[in-house]
Amino acid sequence: MIKMQGLTKTFGEGKTKVTALDGLSLDASNGRVTGLIGPNGAGKTTAFRIVYGLLSADSGHASVDGIDVGSERMEAQRALGVLPDVRGLYPRLTAREHIRYFGELHGADGSALEDDIDDLIKRLGMEDFADRRAKGFSRGQELKVALGRALVHRPKNLILDEPTNGLDVMSSRSVRDLIKEMRDDGHCILISSHIMSEVAVLCDDLVIIANGHAIAAGTPDELRQQTGADDIEEVFVRAVIKEQGAAI
Amino acid sequence: MNVPDYNKAVKTNGRMSRLMVIFKKEVRDHLRDRRTLLLALIYPLLAPLLVAGGLYLAGTTIQSERTAVAFDVVVVGADNSPLLIEHLEAHDISIVVKTSLIEAKKLVLDGHIPVGLVIPENAEGEKRFTVQMLMNLSRVSNLRLTARLERVINILNAELTKERLVEAGLEKDFAKPIKIKDVSVTRLPNIAVFFYNMMPPLIIFMIFLGGVHLAIDTTVGERERGSLEPLLLSPVERWILLLAKSKAAVLFTAITSFINIAAFYVFCGWAASLSKHLDQPPAWYMFIAMFVISIPLMAIAVALQMSIAVITRSMKEAQIYLGLLPLVPALPGMIMVFKPISPGAWDVAIPVFGQMLLLGRLALSESVTIAQVLTATVSTSIAAALIFWLAARWFKREKMFLLG
Repeated sequence: MIKMQGLTKTFGEGKTKVTALDGLSLDASNGRVTGLIGPNGAGKTTAFRIVYGLLSADSGHASVDGIDVGSERMEAQRALGVLPDVRGLYPRLTAREHIRYFGELHGADGSALEDDIDDLIKRLGMEDFADRRAKGFSRGQELKVALGRALVHRPKNLILDEPTNGLDVMSSRSVRDLIKEMRDDGHCILISSHIMSEVAVLCDDLVIIANGHAIAAGTPDELRQQTGADDIEEVFVRAVIKEQGAAI
Repeated sequence: MNVPDYNKAVKTNGRMSRLMVIFKKEVRDHLRDRRTLLLALIYPLLAPLLVAGGLYLAGTTIQSERTAVAFDVVVVGADNSPLLIEHLEAHDISIVVKTSLIEAKKLVLDGHIPVGLVIPENAEGEKRFTVQMLMNLSRVSNLRLTARLERVINILNAELTKERLVEAGLEKDFAKPIKIKDVSVTRLPNIAVFFYNMMPPLIIFMIFLGGVHLAIDTTVGERERGSLEPLLLSPVERWILLLAKSKAAVLFTAITSFINIAAFYVFCGWAASLSKHLDQPPAWYMFIAMFVISIPLMAIAVALQMSIAVITRSMKEAQIYLGLLPLVPALPGMIMVFKPISPGAWDVAIPVFGQMLLLGRLALSESVTIAQVLTATVSTSIAAALIFWLAARWFKREKMFLLG
């Protein structure tokens, strides 16, 4: 379970001061896929970075399985798998070495780790390039390596930032299937995506964020009812326009 | 599809093992990097080659100066002083007689003959006369031959002086009341000292260059590639992360320095062995001592590289600063090559400078005391630890991955 309570975060000072988060709260439950959606600059990435311990909040709290990220960063990180927006691979390491490195950083080793790596390579369809160096990988291949890296320590909670960004149709479908399987297995999954059709198919709960705080939250059906819109894209647009009107 | 058991607990590991995981990854990664290998294996050979080359040239120059090599001198007015001509020929100097001054000057100017001599018409029968030397010092080899011609003429001068003093009823050394006899107090009484003095600053320069690529690549480079963010998501203390990367950089620096110091020993030994007039470089164990004394320097070099790399905005910016960094500690040593200083008792306690002084003594086969080595090691190590502590603090800042 991932929780954010009243998160605020500003960058810069004086004239350059930017408020990235302004009291954001959300609950992402186990066994559900929660979508955090919002326009560019709404604060999604900042919120994620606070949850996975890269940034500290000015006020408010974030927790993973009840572990406070601010005070017990490493414990929270052990319970979390993250697919950041920037995949960031080492060009001179193979796909297998990437996954092994991150597994070892989480304390795994030996034959158990090797079995897990083999299993992930098979599950993510990486057999063809598992032992190739990452330099020259396609975006799809990079994403699979990054996913393997995020899953190798068997985290109960997952944050996936744009999980199908840059993937072809077949790869996107395969990633979506994987997300659903993990949800069915009881994982807490928090995703961010700009592809509304994907959000509609995947997410059990949605939080729409703008100007650093949640402007709407609920299941897709609840949000449709609240806004009177037929599809998720229209729900999103209406919620954002309403927020912008209120802000003006 | 079979979903693995993600709920299975993964054991937690200790700091040491996390440090080793990162260290091993960095070493493996950079052993595959051509730039790191080039810097570690090829660059350290360049300075020793240069110094050995200079030593070899100095040796051959001294050799040829001390063995009388015949050379030509163009002479205008050769008939005006048969005694001088006979003296020059007796000293393996071949005379090319010319009557035209212009022609003689042209031969020297064009480099056909290294030096010329103009004997005035009034030389014949005169006890004192002035000769002109036609010099062309734009060629280095001419400098040596011109000096030799001058020395040979002065030999005749000295002989004539003695004869005339005796003729006048005086002692032959009458005009030389003070004689000079050289007694060198150093073990290396020749030009080789100059070249061996160059080793310490060049060794320090290489130490500050050896791990620089790794320091940049594993910090600001990781940020630029986007791989720093996933790495920081791992349950590892930031200072452990930086320490592991620093240890990898120290390892590459140590390899670079070892090759560098070994190359100085081999190349300089080879160059010095080609001339009997050059003293050999210090013994092999002096070079081992140089490497050991340099270890704290490797630590402070990497700490400085890391601290600069973590606060720069881009790899380019880091490369500019870290490219200049080796000059700073090497500069005092370069000055000392030309203007040696006598260190005071506590000078070895100055971080980096202490090692420079000790390396300087070892380069001249002079002894160093255990107390001096310990003082220099402790002071530089403390400075390295403080700088690393600062780097680790900077590495923890949010700005570290938001920059750029």
